Amino acid sequence: MNVQVEMPQETAVLELPPEIVKLQIKDLNFFYGQKQSLFDVSVSFAANAVTALIGPSGCGKSTLLRTLNRIYNLYPGQRATGQVLLDGEDMLGPRVNVAALRARIGMVFQKPTPFPMSIFDNVAYGVRLYEKLGKADLANRVEDSLRRAALWDEVKDKLKESGLSLSGGQQQRLCVARGIAVKPEVLLLDEPASALDPISTARLEETISELKRDYTIVIVTHNMGQAARLSDHTGFMYLGKLVEFGETEQLFTNPVTTRARDYITGRFG
Amino acid sequence: MSTSPAPRLARRINELVFLAFCWTATAVALLFLAAILWSLLSQGIGGLDLDIFTKSTPAPGSVGGLLNAIVGSLMMCVVAMVGAVLVGVLAGTWLSEYARDSHYGKVVRFLNDVLLSAPSILVGLFVYEVLVAPVKGFSGLAGSVALGLLAAPVITRTTEDVLRLQPTALREASVALGAPVWRTILAVIWKSARGGMLTGALLAFARISGETAPLLFTALNNQFLSFDLTKPTANLPVVIFNFALSAYDDWRRLAWAGALLIAATVLTVTVVARILAREPRRS
Amino acid sequence: MTVTADTAPAAAAPAPPRSAFGAAFDRGFEILCFSAATFLLTALGGIVVSLVIGGWPAFQTFGLNFFVSAEWDPVQEIYGAAGAVTGTLVSATLALVLALPLSLGIAIFLVELCPPILRRPIGTAVELLAGIPSIVYGMWGLFVFAPWFAKHVQMPIMMSARPGTLWETITTGVPNGAGILSASIILAIMILPFIAATMRELLLTIPAQVRESAYGLGSTTFEVVRKVSLPYIRTGAIGAVMLGLGRALGETMAVTFIIGNAHGFPTSIFASGSTIASTIANEFAEATEELHAASLIALGLVLFVITFAVLALARLLIGRQQHT
Repeated sequence: MNVQVEMPQETAVLELPPEIVKLQIKDLNFFYGQKQSLFDVSVSFAANAVTALIGPSGCGKSTLLRTLNRIYNLYPGQRATGQVLLDGEDMLGPRVNVAALRARIGMVFQKPTPFPMSIFDNVAYGVRLYEKLGKADLANRVEDSLRRAALWDEVKDKLKESGLSLSGGQQQRLCVARGIAVKPEVLLLDEPASALDPISTARLEETISELKRDYTIVIVTHNMGQAARLSDHTGFMYLGKLVEFGETEQLFTNPVTTRARDYITGRFG
Repeated sequence: MSTSPAPRLARRINELVFLAFCWTATAVALLFLAAILWSLLSQGIGGLDLDIFTKSTPAPGSVGGLLNAIVGSLMMCVVAMVGAVLVGVLAGTWLSEYARDSHYGKVVRFLNDVLLSAPSILVGLFVYEVLVAPVKGFSGLAGSVALGLLAAPVITRTTEDVLRLQPTALREASVALGAPVWRTILAVIWKSARGGMLTGALLAFARISGETAPLLFTALNNQFLSFDLTKPTANLPVVIFNFALSAYDDWRRLAWAGALLIAATVLTVTVVARILAREPRRS
Repeated sequence: MTVTADTAPAAAAPAPPRSAFGAAFDRGFEILCFSAATFLLTALGGIVVSLVIGGWPAFQTFGLNFFVSAEWDPVQEIYGAAGAVTGTLVSATLALVLALPLSLGIAIFLVELCPPILRRPIGTAVELLAGIPSIVYGMWGLFVFAPWFAKHVQMPIMMSARPGTLWETITTGVPNGAGILSASIILAIMILPFIAATMRELLLTIPAQVRESAYGLGSTTFEVVRKVSLPYIRTGAIGAVMLGLGRALGETMAVTFIIGNAHGFPTSIFASGSTIASTIANEFAEATEELHAASLIALGLVLFVITFAVLALARLLIGRQQHT
């Protein structure tokens, strides 16, 4: 470092070239009732890439994720302003068909959420909502989704058994399979490995890396190793603001902002 | 009992008296249960023969059974339960999934709790005023409505309670797949909570199958076997009431047999419901 | 979107039409649920309105006298509620006095003293006591309990009462075992499991550390219960008691069997009496005169008001306990 006093930047958000952008967020603010929890977030997520969102708990990274598929609409009092553009089309507008939007932007949650039905029906659940597939087509779709989620070999002989009978790691991969069965364009993962043991986590990470070829993936994680291993781009959030966003390698090795640097170096010792 | 170094004598005596009292209180309750069950068995088992299930209530001095009362009670309970499950499940769903802590939701929840423990005879009076007096005729249907009104709040309450126990993530996971809320509730939430909801329905059934007061002036009674719910309908509780207070020994014997039948049904259903409720649920 | 070879057919299919399948039903389903909830509310409202309308002729005819007079004479068509109201309040209060210590004892037994193996069977047994239908309690009370009670309790007490004393006055009666006190005892057995169950749930809400630290200071079970547990659950416990009271007030069949069914003020604990519910149960089906029926419905309204007040207070207290 040179002697000259470096003026660290407050925020640093990398602009992606428009042709690779799948999902673009513009001036997003989010409110839980009176309390604002996202402040003017603007960022883009690239197609066929993994974007990780990191930051201390309560920083708004999960809120950001929950805004993207409008899951917050379930709760009166929660609202968002700004724009979320999926292929240039605003998803926050009042005329948007929210259910259809959610089929385009899938989500996997922190804890595994298998439905109380068979493994097969779990995966077929979302498909049946939107498509009238024949028996064989549906079976193909389920098999394909389970294969992509790297679960097929473990469950192919017991598709009729309850989804609840699987182990935690298997349940989470079942949820991934369920999410991709409806052929979404974007997959949101909200700390998907936080309830899993290390071995299951490793398998899930492999799955995510595989899925990148076909989907735009946004993952919220508190595990920075995971973010570094999996993602192409990383956003660091703090107190509801996006502080820094850039190439993962650059952000982890040479963060531009003080906050990100403190957080990353603090975590790594 | 205590780990402290030698409590003083007074403390020790207090403690002993207290412990003895708690044991005694429990023993007293169990004693009453045993005494009631013993009376039911010893007085009722003799009357439980095939006639009970094949013959209708007799005139004093002739041979008969409780067939018409059993059939009437079953019909009324089934009709009542169908209505009560429909209303109760939907109302409980509204409280849990839509109303949450809204003002109106609180009012409904509170008044449902009041209705839950309101004297059943008042429900009978209400149904009499609304369904019996205007058409000048007692009917099994009126009895069903009265029983249904007693069962619905129980089902509403248990439905709300078990639905609230379902994890939020389960709802969100379904909605995140693009499922509409109604479908999420039907296919995921109800399905996940079905054990608890069944328990609630069984408890409600147990409650109404022994209810007498609301039937006294709604369903009234009927000497004959009838499948027509628009007419006065025989039912076990009212038959037991009439026969037990009669002067005829064979009627009283039938009353005891009927009491045993009802108590056995109610207690069995209660135990089954409790066992269902205890079944370990994987999360 | 890149597509791998083995999954090509499925993945290459054009994006399915994202029709809002069934989303239109969302509003409809919510309205359906809302209607069911509102139906319950309407039912309760209907009960009040029907009781007021049905009982109106009685209030109109007797005015305030309806509440003050204990005269109940279907032949002369004079009706006063005071006797039945007193019978209701006295029998329910006595029942509560008997049931409260017992149910507290049971709740504490189940939470603090019961050997773990017995906890479930005893808990279930107490629940069964709550499940026994009212009419069975009535029959058992009249045919089994009353004779026993007359012989072993009522007679000895009446024999031992010295003539002229107050004790003699409140213990006179026909020694057949039916009367106010017998009804209260049966009522007490009936409400005991409900109070015990609620108390038990309340006791289980006490954080383990609170009790453990009291035990850690060398307290006896009695001291922990008296100084820690009971103060902790006080509000909710009062609610539980009110809930039991509400049940006792409205209980019909068991009381009808055993209270003796005499109109007027009860004069002693062994005397026959009546409650609002038992009067309605006994007379309503045969009340052909309009004023008779109206007076019975008016009685029903009085019962409703009393139980509503008690139950509302109970729910408020229990709710408050659970939220703090």
